Formats: sequence, structure tokens, C-alpha cells
Amino acid sequence: MIAQPNAGPTVGLLDVEDVAVSKTGGSRLPEPRALYNQWEKQQWAIAHVNVRRDRPQWEAMRPFARQELLTSLNELEVGEVFVSRTLSTLVGYAPSDADRLFLSTQVADEARHAQFFQDYLHEAVGLAETTSEAGSQQESVYSRLFEPTLRASLDNVAASGGDIRFWHTAVVEYHLVTEGILAAAALHLTRQIARRFSLPALEEGLGNVIRDESRHFTYGLAATRRAVEGSLRGHMAEVYLAGVETAARIMVNPHRKAVTPVLRPALLQRAALLLAQWDLTRQRALRQLRLMGLPDLREETQQVWDRSLESALSEYAEIWGTQHPVAAVR
Amino acid sequence: MNQHTEINGNIIDTAEINARVRDVVGSLVPDGRRDVQSIDRLTDLGFDSLATLELAMALETEFDLLEVPEGQTVEMATVGDIEILIGSLVGTPATSA
Repeated sequence: MIAQPNAGPTVGLLDVEDVAVSKTGGSRLPEPRALYNQWEKQQWAIAHVNVRRDRPQWEAMRPFARQELLTSLNELEVGEVFVSRTLSTLVGYAPSDADRLFLSTQVADEARHAQFFQDYLHEAVGLAETTSEAGSQQESVYSRLFEPTLRASLDNVAASGGDIRFWHTAVVEYHLVTEGILAAAALHLTRQIARRFSLPALEEGLGNVIRDESRHFTYGLAATRRAVEGSLRGHMAEVYLAGVETAARIMVNPHRKAVTPVLRPALLQRAALLLAQWDLTRQRALRQLRLMGLPDLREETQQVWDRSLESALSEYAEIWGTQHPVAAVR
Repeated sequence: MNQHTEINGNIIDTAEINARVRDVVGSLVPDGRRDVQSIDRLTDLGFDSLATLELAMALETEFDLLEVPEGQTVEMATVGDIEILIGSLVGTPATSA
């Protein structure tokens, strides 16, 4: 049976503030089996979303808006494809059967997400199967800045025969940085744009993806908390801070020339919009610390984020010989 | 009495600049092209942040705006604000008649 989009309990739609906290301050993060049960109840199908119904809106969309939205969809599609191709390493070396079974459901989810975005780009946007207008015009910032780190972590997991330290490193990078910080912010923002352009299939599909990612993210929180409460507290903090540093660089994306209006009112508006997106992402990076069992890392996380942003803005100025729109209005 | 402005070596009537501004704005109204007036507010015309950004980029192309001058006005609430803004950016008034 296929669940309706809003059926069944959700795990906070990626909102860590929605995860229950006991009176003593401890979290009640679900066990892998409970998340597996949710997965069974929250199935959805791309065919039911009917992506083709958005085609008329895309045909009427002006070039500027089309490119803005395509850029967002391209980043999401690249991330989903990458995860669907590589997550199996974590499944193979999972520390328990319960972990392995849940992660297997995640592999299936990621495949569905990748297929959803590909179908959407082809059938709703109208891109040819063999080319990607979105991808051909710009390289994914996620691919450039974060995939090498994740690939190295997975190589370490496999080469060590599943050393738990390496396995948890990859979980932080996949579940908490990629999904908990980057994808969560991008999905919500893209869904807002979908609503603004009256793209019901995209809005519904993204809602389904967000619900799935909520389970994955919650699993990552619980697994990381176990590691933090065990012997890996220092290492988890180190990995997370490195991920936050990269996430901030991805937000600035110094290797891509940003749209920078000459008209100051538009420039101010552009900068304000970017700052709002960055702040949403930063808030996510800070808010999940409590549930990871690292609430005392908040100040350091904030400092790492701020330093990384400034560094990336300087890098942008060096590469392009002009200031990033956010720096230009300060 | 009309003001004239120099754009790329061409002397252009201020009224013509304003008309071109209104034409660009009108062509990008989110719900479809329409005639706009100086007193029309962008928000009333349906311009949100993304549409305003698109409008700004279109105006840059239309008037060959290349640099962000210091002390530029920060108000772009009405079509008239844009007329004044563009008029202040595209050159020094050359003559008046």
C-alpha cells in the first residue's frame, strides 16, 4: 500500500527541535527498528507524484527563474545520485543487524530520490535524457568540495574492514553534514520556490524526500550519539567541525561567479536573501549539536562557521577580482 | 522642458529613459506583460525578491550598467524610483530644452 504524502507520523521533517527531549534533558531518539517501521508506513511512488503535471509551468517560466531553480535542483540531484551510489559501504560494515536493515531502507530511499530528480528534470523541466542543462552549465559545488572527503572516508571504512571509528566518521559526514545541514536547508528552500512558482509535483515530491531524509537524519543523530557517549567523543567533534567548515564554504561557493546586481537595491536584496539562506544552514549546524550529545561544542561550531565563511568570501574575491554580493554590501 | 542624458555617446531624452524603464518593468510583471505607471509599487505588480532580481538584471542589460557607484539610492519601491535610479546612473544630463 502506498501512503499518502501526509500519512503516518513524521520525525519532525528534518527539524531537530521536534525531537522529543526528556525532563532530564536526554533525547529520546528512535532506535533503528522504530525508524524501519516508519519507513514501511511512509512509502511513496514517483508515479503517484506525476511529475509531468509541472511541465506547463516550466514551459512558461522565464530564463532567469528557470536557471535559478535548475541550479537548486541540480545540486539536489547530484547529492542524491552520489549517496545512492556509495552508501552501500556503510551498509556492509554496519555494527549491528538493526543498523544494517535500516541503512538498507535508506539505500532504497536514495535510489528513489535520485530517480525522482532525474525524472523531474527530464519529464517536467524537459531536459533531454542524454544531457543536463543544469549540470552542463555549472559544476556542482557539493561534488567539488565535499565528495572527495566522503570518498576518502568510505575508502577508510572498507580498507579497515569496518573500523567503527571510520564508520562513524562517514555517518557524521553523510547523515549529519550532507543530509542534516546541507540537504535539509536546500530542500526546504527549493520547496519554497516550488510553491512560489506553483509547481505542485515538485512541491509534493520534495515533501516526500524531506520526510525520508528526516528518518535518515534521525538515524545519524542516534548513531552519532552512541559514538559520543562511547569512546569517540573527541573524534566525532573533530569530524563534525570539519564538516561544518566545508558546509560554510559550500554556501559561499567561491568557484562560481555569483549573480551580483549593479543596482544597489537589488544587490541589497540579493545579499539579504543569501544571508538568510546561510543563516538557516548555520542554525541547523548548531541545533543538532544537542541531540548529538555535543551541546558544549556550540560556540566552537559557531566560530568555525564564521571563519570558514570569511575565508571563502576572501577566496571568492581572489578568484573573481570582485567582491561576493554579501561582502559588497557590508 | 526635457532633460537629456548621454548613454554610450548617444544623447537620450529623460522621458525616453523613463519610457524604456516602464517598458522593461511592464514586460517582466510576473503575471504577464502590462502597462505600468511611475506610481505603481513593485509589490503591487507582483514582484517578489526573485522577480525583482530578474528585473534588476534586465535593467542592467538594457542600460549597459557595469559598476555599482558609491552612494547609490537604496529605494526601489515604485516604478518611479527605478526611473530616478536609472536616470542617475546612465550618465550626466547633457542639455535641457
